[in-house]
Amino acid sequence: MSIAKVGRCIEASGVSKVYGAGTAAAVEAVSSVSFTVPHGQFVAILGPSGCGKSTLLMMVGGLEPVSSGNIIVNGEPMTGPRTSIGIMFQDPTLLPWKSALDNVLFPVRVLKRSIDDYREAARDLLHQVGLHGFEHKRPHELSGGMRQRVAICRTLVYDPEVLLMDEPFSALDAISRDEMNELLLDLWQQFTKTALFVTHSIREAVLLADRVLVMTKRPATIVENLAVPFARPRSMALGESREFNEICRHLRECIEESHSRSRALRARTTAWRREPAT
Amino acid sequence: MAARAGNVSVEIPAAAPPGSVPAIGPSLRWARPIILPIATAAATLLLWQFAAVRLRIPAVILPTPIEIAHELWRALPVLIEQAGPTALDTLMAFAAASALGVGLAVVIAYSPLLRDTLYPNLVFFQLVPKVALAPLFVIWLGFGSPSRVAFATFISFFPVVIAAAVGFAGTDPAALQLCRSLTASEWRCFLLVRFPFALPAIFSGFKVAMTMAVIGVIIGEFISSQAGLGHYILNAGSRLDTADVFAALGVLCALGVGLYGAVALAEFGIRRVYGRH
Amino acid sequence: MAFLDTVSRAGDAVPNGRLLRLVLLPVGFALAAIAVWQILCQALHIPPVLLPPPSAVWTVLRDNYAILFGEPLPTLNESIASFTVASVLGVGLAVSLTFSAWVREALYPNIVMFQLIPKIALAPLFIVWLGVGETTTIVVAVFIAFFPIVVSSATGLVSAKPEVLRLCQSLTASEWQAFRMVRFPYAVPYIFAGMKVGVTMAMIGVVVGEFITAQRGLGYIIMFAAGASETATVLAAILLLCVIGLGLYGIVGLAEWLVLRLYGGEMPISGVI
Repeated sequence: MSIAKVGRCIEASGVSKVYGAGTAAAVEAVSSVSFTVPHGQFVAILGPSGCGKSTLLMMVGGLEPVSSGNIIVNGEPMTGPRTSIGIMFQDPTLLPWKSALDNVLFPVRVLKRSIDDYREAARDLLHQVGLHGFEHKRPHELSGGMRQRVAICRTLVYDPEVLLMDEPFSALDAISRDEMNELLLDLWQQFTKTALFVTHSIREAVLLADRVLVMTKRPATIVENLAVPFARPRSMALGESREFNEICRHLRECIEESHSRSRALRARTTAWRREPAT
Repeated sequence: MAARAGNVSVEIPAAAPPGSVPAIGPSLRWARPIILPIATAAATLLLWQFAAVRLRIPAVILPTPIEIAHELWRALPVLIEQAGPTALDTLMAFAAASALGVGLAVVIAYSPLLRDTLYPNLVFFQLVPKVALAPLFVIWLGFGSPSRVAFATFISFFPVVIAAAVGFAGTDPAALQLCRSLTASEWRCFLLVRFPFALPAIFSGFKVAMTMAVIGVIIGEFISSQAGLGHYILNAGSRLDTADVFAALGVLCALGVGLYGAVALAEFGIRRVYGRH
Repeated sequence: MAFLDTVSRAGDAVPNGRLLRLVLLPVGFALAAIAVWQILCQALHIPPVLLPPPSAVWTVLRDNYAILFGEPLPTLNESIASFTVASVLGVGLAVSLTFSAWVREALYPNIVMFQLIPKIALAPLFIVWLGVGETTTIVVAVFIAFFPIVVSSATGLVSAKPEVLRLCQSLTASEWQAFRMVRFPYAVPYIFAGMKVGVTMAMIGVVVGEFITAQRGLGYIIMFAAGASETATVLAAILLLCVIGLGLYGIVGLAEWLVLRLYGGEMPISGVI
């Protein structure tokens, strides 16, 4: 258990991502995004599909270079992937020929640390996520939800300071998704980490996060930065409270408003194109 | 604020995998997969020409590309004339193998008894070095075209029947159930569901079969030398006329690629008719 | 049709019955075919030059087993040698293609184009270069077996889904680590698939090489006996060749089974779970 830090963990300023720069088909996936995340905070990036939130996450994780602006994590500018950052993807990407336990220990082998040191920790993690007894099962013997749980353990086993999660539960059915949300809330109680969680589910974002950044597309920017006022520990019952639903409604309106704004903008531009300038 | 980049979807491409190629300029990036292999092949030819001349390699061992081109030009009428029997034998073998293969596959698809009986034997035959039977066909059918066509049919038959059988067996059961629930007859179910679903597999079998048919005809010509490109190549080899060998090989390659391309083209056409899977 | 369905379903109901059916039917059919062959030969008095009965083939095998079991040795050696060389070269080239995108983009399309060429037709060329003999046969066989192995292995080595590789990247894994721990295990089923085709191709190369260089080995015996109209000998030699071919294929299959067991079970050909 690391000592809780203070100050900024993640700082993004003026971050943009342009694909195909310099050509006629240049696409601006992310447009001048700035935000900070203090240590120990859980921040959700909420937005519809294709608005660039995954790209933003990849840039924070050092897997994609920024086109302009910069990202500083733990005081160091991001130039590439780091072992102090753990990334979880939508696809659990477990190695099919390895057992659950071996999959959890995969990062340990990559990082060339001693497996024996981590074996107990890996077992504990699997136990915590409810997979006790499944250590030697192979991925094809596990359900989708179980595989994501193995993936969570794999991300946590080498104790990264920062967790980046790219819609990890989007591919699950609704019931499994609720279970995973509950699991993540429980886990969050134990670990002092900083997290960025990308999702397109408004309820999931409000349930899990301390702050919600709303991102929309065209242009792909952050349009809202909302603090979630609920204290921890949280439970799934929170989802039925009135205040919770008020916040969700507010976020929904926020998203819809920016959509209609961009629709109006596009309509104006299309109209302008049809009638040549007088 | 002008609208950005039209209606291009903002799909996030996967992160660049390790060891990716540095861009040579955004405008040429699309052409690299085409330019690079062609350039490599061209460079190899140039190197060949240069080395053969510089190192004074005897033409018997390795003629230069220019000498080969010269020989090709000189012998072209003869080569094309010899290509005729080879092409004809191949096409006949392919047609026979395809018809028999698909036919047997249909029978197997509809009779579990025949499938359990025949299919393992077919797979067994596929694994066995069938080329060893080439002289047997010569014993049975003599030195002429029939033995070659029969042998080529024999070796190209198996890929077709196996691929087609797999294709027919792999039909989406839900689609078949839908068909039957509409009280369609088995024949219509076959025509409308099983057959179109099996087409990719059948065509992959056809492509292998075409390749095998060419090989079968060539081997047949090797051992029952009468006419055709295979015989020509063997003959030129025994005369140590290496440039001639290369020239004939070139024509043979063109023939092989052309025939294969015809099958691929047919597949493309049929795919368009039946729509993409 | 319905009756046959009930027969097969009845077979399904009893697991042992199904297994028995899967083995008995094809084997029974094959044995029946041989029996029919024997009977037809004798009943219709088919000239043994055209189609000798199985009994004649057996006689040849029995009487000449000293020679006939000696001749397979060169064929066997050549097959094993050529297959081994083709596998090493093939997998080796496929591995080096993985590490350099430039090399891959330059060479791989050319290799695939080579697949379309009837490579057996180059055998006379190899004879011009290397003369008549065992070396030529092996080289021809290597040449033919090499390409399917490269193509299949290369396909397998790039088959790991980008998501898995991105995971490796996020863990700051080196290229070698990503190759050893992810790419190569994913490629194993493909490599074996290529090797199975390769072993078949190697045998074709060896047999055809022996046909046209006619020095030693079973291919030589077949040509020689065919020329002398000793059809029973031809069939006997073919039978021995089939045994060798199946044996080698079976060894590759066995190796594949062992490797899969080593990796422990499911190794899906397609992508990531």
